[in-house]
Amino acid sequence: MELFFMTITTGIMVGGIYALVALGWVLIYKCSGVLNLAMGEMTLIGAYVSLTFYSMGVPFILSLAISLVIGFILGVLTERIFLDKLIGQPVLTVIMVTVGLSFFFKGTVEFIWGTDTRVFTPPVFALEAIRIGPIYIGQVYLWSFIAAMILLVVFVSFFKYTRWGLAMQATADDEMAALSLGVSARFVYAIAWAIAFMAAGVGGTLLGNINGLNISVGYLGLLVLPAVVLGGLNSVPGAIVGGLIIGVLQNLAGAYLDRYFPGGVKEIAPFVFMAVFLLFKPYGLWGWERIERV
Amino acid sequence: MSTTFLPCSVYHQNYAQDHAWWQTKFIKGKMILLALVLFGGIPYFADSYQLSICNTVGYTILGALGVQLLIGFCGQVTLGHAAFLAVGAYTSTLLILEFPWPQFLMDWGLAYPISILVAAVVAGIWSVLFGLPSAKVKGFYLILTTMAAQFITVDFIITQYISQIGGRGQAFSLPPGTIKVGPWVIDSDLKVYLMMLFLVILCCFIVLNLLRSRAGRAWVAIRDNDISAEVMGINVVKYKLLAFFVAGFIGGIAGAFWISNLAAISPEHFPWFWSLWLVGVILIGGVGSIHGAVFGSIFMVVVMEALQLAVLPLADTFPKLLMDFLFIKEAAFGLAICGFMIFEPNGLSYRWWQAKNYFNLWPFSY
Repeated sequence: MELFFMTITTGIMVGGIYALVALGWVLIYKCSGVLNLAMGEMTLIGAYVSLTFYSMGVPFILSLAISLVIGFILGVLTERIFLDKLIGQPVLTVIMVTVGLSFFFKGTVEFIWGTDTRVFTPPVFALEAIRIGPIYIGQVYLWSFIAAMILLVVFVSFFKYTRWGLAMQATADDEMAALSLGVSARFVYAIAWAIAFMAAGVGGTLLGNINGLNISVGYLGLLVLPAVVLGGLNSVPGAIVGGLIIGVLQNLAGAYLDRYFPGGVKEIAPFVFMAVFLLFKPYGLWGWERIERV
Repeated sequence: MSTTFLPCSVYHQNYAQDHAWWQTKFIKGKMILLALVLFGGIPYFADSYQLSICNTVGYTILGALGVQLLIGFCGQVTLGHAAFLAVGAYTSTLLILEFPWPQFLMDWGLAYPISILVAAVVAGIWSVLFGLPSAKVKGFYLILTTMAAQFITVDFIITQYISQIGGRGQAFSLPPGTIKVGPWVIDSDLKVYLMMLFLVILCCFIVLNLLRSRAGRAWVAIRDNDISAEVMGINVVKYKLLAFFVAGFIGGIAGAFWISNLAAISPEHFPWFWSLWLVGVILIGGVGSIHGAVFGSIFMVVVMEALQLAVLPLADTFPKLLMDFLFIKEAAFGLAICGFMIFEPNGLSYRWWQAKNYFNLWPFSY
């Protein structure tokens, strides 16, 4: 039973990070309708930037802030250079451009930083576990979860209460109406990409703290896809809940199914679950159902 | 068909002519010339390195044909095609290594050809299994399920279970001389090349023939609008699954062919990267035409080789460039896809079509 609770808690903690990255994904989709497959590589870039600054001696919080700034710039640049020209193109075209972007980012990251695993030295968070009741939690997980939650709250309140956030909500709701009221859609797209890049960078940094940073952290960025499908593609609360569920599910599979299917069941479980889930509820928990007419 | 430009005063009088492969003498001559170059010129003049490039092109064409069929003709976007290549390759390898073949089949050298056929059927069935969700979902959701196919098949089942069969460790090595077609042992680039030509031409004919039949018309209707297709009385699920089967079948042939060129196969030969690469190939070549798959394969393979040759002289001053060439290749591939999608969304085959039309009407283009 203790194993069960421990698995669930770890799952929720990791799921918080997924939720943060998934939020960035949903934001891009909601605002500009782009299905982004480059999310994993975006997490890599942010993570490597903050790792580089951290190993140069910059305090962790500051290097995280620097990676946020660089993520913002890169996000705006990506949108302006690549995605801006594709407004109104077929879905497959846009998806493949994001695939191309993912290769470009990945190749660049591998070329600059190599493929060896790097760790944050000295460790950012203390190594000993914290005891809460009967369960032990690693401090990395706890602090990552707290950081992810703080950022989630910041982002959500950004949408709710600021002018830019409201403009984004309006564009997501009805682009034509928003345009006629003087909201610049291009500006909103750029901001959406910038925020997604920032969220991905923070997510990558936190994940890199848990297991060390290498290219496979980019694979963890792919896990947002099951998360957003679970929650529904265009629902922000759905993304958060989906991220948490995927985190828990992944850890449960690792703890219980590994005995029966040795090997990489932990990595595969979210995708299997997603494939089965899609058969029964293709629009996720809170996604908009699209009614098609000829 | 009837997309062919007919010269003045040539008219079709029945449907058979309209659907014929080679409708004018000029096209027939062109095709004979192409066959001469492929079967005579290249094997005679090319050295081993150039032949191996040709083999890579052929392998890419075989893989891309299935993707082209699914994406370009049936509209079912797949990002997991390398899984079916892997299924084909592993089925064929396991059959050759483990199956107790009767001695006379071994003597006649039929083991490998039969295993290619079995591999193709197994890969086709495996593909149908992962195509089943297409009955219910489409678009982005289907992309996700095909991605799941890749991870489940290659990263899980093959890496964790299939690779353990026979206790050989991760890679299955194929001893020299095991790959035999009839009396010939496939051991040189030239023999692989000839086998590749045979298979590529066969698969192109299969796909082209299907496309001018009832199934092909149904696929195109589903691609253009699946709801209207259903209203018109096409059994959408059946034809979608048929498309998945044929794509997997050709993928299986591609995988089973490729083991003749490898000394050993391991799951690393079929990464997710390769699935995306195949989709990139058809996008660069042009979606919705067989030319697209061929041109895209030639372009991608040749450009990547050229890039490598361009990097070589720089290697003395910047050794990192050569060491990390794989990463440069990845980045270049990504940029190439982005560039083609933004500036040339119709692909290379559209340019080819334009050039052909220009010369058809030359010098009086109206």
